[in-house]
Amino acid sequence: MPTFVILRLALRTLWRNPLRSVLMMLGVAIGIASLTTLTSVGEATKRQTLAEFKNMVGTFDVVNISPGGGRTRGMPSLTTVEPTLKFTDATAIAAQVPGVTQVAEVQNAFDIDVKYRDNTTASAMYGISANWLQMHRYFVAAGNLISPDDIQSLARIAVIGPDVQRDLFPGEDPIGKQIRIGNVPFQVKGILESRGAGPGGSSLDNIVFIPVTTASKRLFNRDYLTTITAQLKDPDDPEPVIEAITALLRERHGIVPPGEDDFTLSNPRAAALQVSDVRSTLTTILAGTAAIATLIGGTVIMGLMLVAVSERRREIGVRRAVGASRGDVLRQFLVEAALVSALGGLAGVSLGVGAAVLLAVQRALVPVIVWPTVGAALLLSIVIGLVFGLQPAWKAARIDPIDALRS
Amino acid sequence: MIEIEHLQKTYQRGDGTPVMALQDVSCVIADGEFVTIRGASGTGKSTLMNIIGCLDTPTAGIYRLSGEDVSGYSDQQRSQIRNQRIGFIFQSFNLLARTTATENVELPSLYRGEAVDRDKARALLARVGLADRADHFISELSGGEQQRVAIARALMNDPPLLLADEPTGNLDSAAGAQIMELLTELHGEGRTIVLVTHDEEVAAYARRELLIRDGRIATDRAQSTLHAVRSAG
Repeated sequence: MPTFVILRLALRTLWRNPLRSVLMMLGVAIGIASLTTLTSVGEATKRQTLAEFKNMVGTFDVVNISPGGGRTRGMPSLTTVEPTLKFTDATAIAAQVPGVTQVAEVQNAFDIDVKYRDNTTASAMYGISANWLQMHRYFVAAGNLISPDDIQSLARIAVIGPDVQRDLFPGEDPIGKQIRIGNVPFQVKGILESRGAGPGGSSLDNIVFIPVTTASKRLFNRDYLTTITAQLKDPDDPEPVIEAITALLRERHGIVPPGEDDFTLSNPRAAALQVSDVRSTLTTILAGTAAIATLIGGTVIMGLMLVAVSERRREIGVRRAVGASRGDVLRQFLVEAALVSALGGLAGVSLGVGAAVLLAVQRALVPVIVWPTVGAALLLSIVIGLVFGLQPAWKAARIDPIDALRS
Repeated sequence: MIEIEHLQKTYQRGDGTPVMALQDVSCVIADGEFVTIRGASGTGKSTLMNIIGCLDTPTAGIYRLSGEDVSGYSDQQRSQIRNQRIGFIFQSFNLLARTTATENVELPSLYRGEAVDRDKARALLARVGLADRADHFISELSGGEQQRVAIARALMNDPPLLLADEPTGNLDSAAGAQIMELLTELHGEGRTIVLVTHDEEVAAYARRELLIRDGRIATDRAQSTLHAVRSAG
């Protein structure tokens, strides 16, 4: 019997038993819908996380060196900073490590009091070299950025974020005004463009930048750094640079095996991927659950098909009498199972895509449909139909036509 | 031509004890014959018909159809013979209930692997007097009409051999007579007809009668002899 005839026959049989057909499709449809929605929302969230992360760190094309061994991960703070990274280390890296285009220096602190007249706010404070702001794609909305001259002259100038402007200068132009950072007076030189929120949802605009030299000599009186940022010539291959910097710093710090590094290197892209991978793992677990739901949908198809085979004994007998072989009967029931499962899968994909778009819109994400996954889900539904249809089809093919015709 | 030599059929009962449905059956049915296989229920006449119809295989013996030994044929081969060389007519019609008369008639051509010839199906329905019933569902037809649909279906692939198993068993005498006349007509066109029945009146339409008793052919008589016996009785 030609394939299209079997397909038409299967469609007609499904059409004649709408309730049974819908029940058979339901489990697979729900499983596939969950699978589609989960992977789509998961992918949308992952992309959003990466975008937010990149927005927060400004650039992925760098290697960050922080003081202390591998145990002090996370955000550095001046109160616990080990005094191992010097300005001279930064200069040495810039001069001696190939693959590094430029090096920026950072001395930063969190929750430092910033005052203007009677207004006080607590913000993050970054002492930075002039190139740091360009490297991390900070732009001014008004005024100017920190210049190499400001670094040279240990200028007491500050560039403030929009949150600081809002808290300290309501209804007033901050440019040229004098603020106090830890009781040291600074003149506001520029106001930054807003960067919005980071991955955790907290604002990235509550920030103050001053020259790193000023921070070192006039604010903290410390000659060591919290971060050295080395820009990569080849962002896709940070490993050789990481190795070269590690070797150079170990040598400069006089560390010999088995002594451990007194500094830590990190690549923000790797860190971002690690964060989004944690979320991907969750998505994978949920998707696994949805796949199991789809399998359960398959067992529903098997159960209902087995009942159908018993009810259709006479039909099977008639078909055998007029010339259907066992193979013909087997194919007929297999195609029915695969078709009903595929239709369930199709319904599930439609539902899932719809739900994914709705959820994305509701959560202010850019909707992402992972089409390869959708294709795989459809394929999965057909395979499930074939696998779970095999036993009922086999049972149908084994029916003795003489018994079936007599019944 | 049907040639049967020393045919035996043994079944396993549910409890494992063997039952011999056919002991030792030999006969020859020539092309174009109208033969009835008669016997009480449980004598093996249905078993014989199932083997002739390639729905069943013999335990021992030889069955040749048009000179071809089909006793050892595979399911696939037997299915092809049923499809192209045999038409079945059953006591309980065995039509697909939720489909139309035309679709039922077309059914054998689906398994022939050729395009469905709807015009032929309709012509066959007209031939059995059901032109106006072609698009009716089977459930809308009377018993006599259903059996005529079944006959049209049996003719769909032009088989030389028709096997009818108590074709009038579920019909009143008027409808039964119509069916028997139709079969007689088909015989007149040159088809071989093998009819299984326990009804002497139905058997009287045939030209030859095989009487089965205890899994063997007890008598094999031509119709003229039958009439002689009847008039004598």
